[in-house]
Amino acid sequence: MKEKDPLNVIVTGVGGQGNVLISQLLGKALVKGGYHVTIGETYGASQRGGAVMSHLRVSRQEQYGPFIPEGQADVILGLEPVETMRVLAQYGNPGVIVIANSRPVYTMAVTTGLAAYPGTEEIGRTLEELSSRAWLLNATEIALEMGASILTNIIMAGALVGSQALPLRPEELEAELRESLPSDRLDLNLKAFHRGLEEARRRGAGS
Amino acid sequence: MSAEVKGPQELGSEVGGRLLCTLCGACVGMCPYRVAYRGRIVVLDECNLSEGRCYAFCPRAPVDLDQVSQVVFGVPYAADELGTLQEIVIARARDGAIRFKGQYGGTVSALMSFALREGFIDSAVLTSSDERLLPSGTVVRDEAGVLACAGSNFVASPTLATFNREAATDAQRIGVVATPCQALALAKMRVSALEDGNNIDKLKLVVGLFCTWALRYEEFVEFLGERVQLEQITRVDIPPPPANVFEVYTDFCRVPIPLDEVRRFIRPTCDFCIDLTAELADVSVGSAEGVEGWNTLIIRSGAGKELVEAAGAGGAIETAPLAKENLEHLKEAALLKKKRALRNIVDTSGNTGNLLYLKLSGEALERLLA
Amino acid sequence: MGNEAIARGALEAGVGFAAAYPGTPSSEVIGTLAEVARDGEIYAEWSVNEKVAMETAAAASFAGVRAIVAMKQNGLNVASDFLMTLNLTGTKAGLVLAACDDPSALSSTNEQDSRPFAKWADLPLLEPATFQEAKDMTRWAFELSEEIKNVCLVRTVTRVSHARGDVLLGERTPPSKGARFVSTSPVEFASIPAPLKHHLMRQKLDKAREMYESSPFNWYVGPERPELLMVTSGACWFYSLEAVKALGVEDRVGILKLGTTWPLPEKLVQEHLARTERVLVVEEVAPFLEGNLKELVGENVAALGPLTFYGKRSGHVPDSGELNPDAVIRALSSVLGVEKAGVAPEYAQKAQELTGAHTHMRAIGFCAGCPHRATFWSLKNALKLDGREGFVTGDIGCYTMALGPTGFFQLKTVQAMGSGVGLACGFGKLAQAGLEQPTVAVCGDSTFFHAAIPALINGVYNRSNFTLVILDNQATAMTGFQPHPGTGMTAMGEAVPAVDIEGLCRSLGIRVEVTDPFDLEETTQKLLDLMRDDGAVRVLISRRTCALVRAREEKAAYEVHVDTEKCLGDNCGCARLCTRVFQCPGIIWDTETGTAKIDEVICSGCGVCADICPASAIIREAA
Repeated sequence: MKEKDPLNVIVTGVGGQGNVLISQLLGKALVKGGYHVTIGETYGASQRGGAVMSHLRVSRQEQYGPFIPEGQADVILGLEPVETMRVLAQYGNPGVIVIANSRPVYTMAVTTGLAAYPGTEEIGRTLEELSSRAWLLNATEIALEMGASILTNIIMAGALVGSQALPLRPEELEAELRESLPSDRLDLNLKAFHRGLEEARRRGAGS
Repeated sequence: MSAEVKGPQELGSEVGGRLLCTLCGACVGMCPYRVAYRGRIVVLDECNLSEGRCYAFCPRAPVDLDQVSQVVFGVPYAADELGTLQEIVIARARDGAIRFKGQYGGTVSALMSFALREGFIDSAVLTSSDERLLPSGTVVRDEAGVLACAGSNFVASPTLATFNREAATDAQRIGVVATPCQALALAKMRVSALEDGNNIDKLKLVVGLFCTWALRYEEFVEFLGERVQLEQITRVDIPPPPANVFEVYTDFCRVPIPLDEVRRFIRPTCDFCIDLTAELADVSVGSAEGVEGWNTLIIRSGAGKELVEAAGAGGAIETAPLAKENLEHLKEAALLKKKRALRNIVDTSGNTGNLLYLKLSGEALERLLA
Repeated sequence: MGNEAIARGALEAGVGFAAAYPGTPSSEVIGTLAEVARDGEIYAEWSVNEKVAMETAAAASFAGVRAIVAMKQNGLNVASDFLMTLNLTGTKAGLVLAACDDPSALSSTNEQDSRPFAKWADLPLLEPATFQEAKDMTRWAFELSEEIKNVCLVRTVTRVSHARGDVLLGERTPPSKGARFVSTSPVEFASIPAPLKHHLMRQKLDKAREMYESSPFNWYVGPERPELLMVTSGACWFYSLEAVKALGVEDRVGILKLGTTWPLPEKLVQEHLARTERVLVVEEVAPFLEGNLKELVGENVAALGPLTFYGKRSGHVPDSGELNPDAVIRALSSVLGVEKAGVAPEYAQKAQELTGAHTHMRAIGFCAGCPHRATFWSLKNALKLDGREGFVTGDIGCYTMALGPTGFFQLKTVQAMGSGVGLACGFGKLAQAGLEQPTVAVCGDSTFFHAAIPALINGVYNRSNFTLVILDNQATAMTGFQPHPGTGMTAMGEAVPAVDIEGLCRSLGIRVEVTDPFDLEETTQKLLDLMRDDGAVRVLISRRTCALVRAREEKAAYEVHVDTEKCLGDNCGCARLCTRVFQCPGIIWDTETGTAKIDEVICSGCGVCADICPASAIIREAA
């Protein structure tokens, strides 16, 4: 997986979850590691509770466009379960690696009673069936334990780096966090990052 | 056979859409979707339930007259001129002050004051109007409160909204002064399976009012306001035929308005109403034709009889026999209203098998239309 | 980010002045320069609208200071009146207009291709295809602009402006500090006499064309004589490259990537056209390049021979919406008759089966705690109570979403900035034609300053009958919380007196009320009152800070939870009012308990839902 060029990574979630921050942090760290990186994102109206998807193209050789073609994702980091499923359906393939957060952000169709949200078991099964490796993390619960739900995305980033699905070492992303995040929130974010790494270790990182 | 209960959407199409709404207020005061505002029922949002109390209680949504009659009186619907009754007399309040404030003989005010004083009920839902004649339901608990609501203004009032709200508090014994459509709605509440059983059980007394028709608020008040200073109105009255006039009394004068000009503002639904004398009340009260200063009093149910007897014995009211001639006139008027309404209904529906909101046996229909 | 690269290119060119009005996807160009401006070397501002922004930048150019202005496609429309006289006037110091289009209208009320403006206005056009180009082209655009003494357009799309990639930076150049306005002839800075200036303008364009012939922004990859020549520009370069690779037709297909797209570098283009018989044009959004190429071919048919064109006109490339690698793959595959080796159909089918039921569109809506939701709730109720079938004309901002369920479908019209008020002026004069319905216009605080003020004055002056509700959430929220004249802060972080919207409206001699949208009862009553006060324009300012801004600056006002014993839920008397109708994302339906539940992660603690619950089951406690 590390040899693949370009490496196609999708970070997906719902507006407000902070997936744009994560893709930028990953991108910057990878550029420092000597890769060409292109990130394509959707801004604007989608922030108001709509789906947000970031496409990362990572290559040693050349710069790629901001869109990953259908069925070509190598890694999917999903901050929200149904969004992960949505991305899988369009960009997945049998070899894709999926790391997803278990906490739903309900669509208005669900909260207004027009649709049902899939249960955790169904989500887990779906992710596994459609990937070569799938992790479902209770990142939001961990974040709440740590004191703020906003830490969810950093925890997930830690899990992603810990999984070794990206050509990125933990120190590299940690350095990026130190550089990019405001100092008054750094400690908590680093803790969150390390929790994420731990979650990856527990699931047998790198296997 | 009981009428099928549907929901707010059907209420809108079957009743509102056909202009059958009487503004009785029975569909309001139970949920955030419907409110009564300045003479209209306003639907603020769409409720998506397929069955609702609003439909079940509406006196212009399908009503099985036998069923409601059974629950109120224990007998099937009389399908005659005046409905189920035990006795008809004339009556008036003994207290001159009450007679002065009240309509005709002040019987309604006297009965309600008495009922509150003696504990038959501990709160009463009456109708009062603001200085611009906008009527609404009011909860009162003593004679002063009753007298403040005395007198009618002939404008439809969503008073049952107030009853619904009062019934949802911890009040235990509630009385209501109701128009015929309101009395019918209250009877439907007793029938309805949807009703939270506890609430309607709090209804202990229904005093019905005779009613020929009721007026639409906004247009009528605009019309009236062009002729009279609304804030100065003390009383209004419609004297019996052949006067054909709508009397408006202010502090300074009496303004007679040709009744034909006022008829323009009658709610369309009144042409489809078969009930002149509030047939589903415990007692019904109206004017006593030709007997100034008295009311016609119809005693219908056991509870009604008990109240009237106690009120008589207690010195709140006095009664006297109703002259046969006047009884005949009353029956004629009541039958006329029934015939006219049934004809309008059949004309609208197109066939005698479909009486819009009424379930009435074919035999009864034939008899009434004859 | 592409926009940051543009900003960097401007800095490397020694830009000294930057102006813009926020508009997705252009906002970050001036946003970035405003951050840089805080060190005092350059000037950057958020102007009230794009026309004024363009004018301020032109002033800088006239005085010898390099200037850049950025806007989205609609902004170009607003600025066009000035642009169509500025082009005749000409410029002095380099003036670059970054036009950032939004194909597929991801964040816009229209889809529009800005490139024809260049042709229409006789101005040179550049389209960056990569982030490096975004920077390098912008830097060079200043040189070009100064060479020909006219505005230069740099046009991007969302996927360049808002995408990120690594870029090699150059050296920054300090801006000019010798600003001076010198008019050497009576009409030097006028657009008249127009016919003469027009002729000169066209000569400037010819100069640009010459310079384009040797531009490094045009390149070709592929065989010497390709079976099919793809001509592309902008973001489509990457998609085209990826499409050719995906289909494995590198030996058959050549790609001519043009960065200088108006005027066309005709000699260069003809060279490539002469080496093929089939041309596929891939571009966003209109067949602009396609049409211009065909014009060129039409003039040179004898030399070029017959050519078959594929593109939007032939239906191979979609005629609207943004493109992506898959769309280009499909187009190429269809032209060449080559199948794409896609994902295994079994996977696609399994994916559809497993996910199809759940991946319905995620609707966008107001954030939890948004004051607009509360305002529109009151407006909905007031209109219903009023009973005269009143309606709402709308405008552009977060509140545009009130077209849908999140705003209870209250908004009935949306077009351009300020249009809601303009329409209301018209509706408000139709009583004589029989219109009896009250009109309510809504606009945001930033929109108010952008375009609504002239329309409001028109309504007052012509005695139109409508109510204007100004949704003052103290932010230009939808585009990223840029400051505006009412917020008391400039782009460069300077605190300035805030323009008093209330005072401004009162000065027009009309009735003005202010309300707190979180007080539902008061707001409803005020709206009813104002709607019934027929006769002239009246204004209600519904003021409460945006939820997202509040979250950054304050802690939540309340802790909110549902008393499940009291919650009526599905029953008659409630029918899920809070989740089904009010639809705040902070309230969810708990299928296990059959009651509403507050989502602690999403709830903003505004407490408004406690006021709408018919059972008083939603409890709010001061936090």
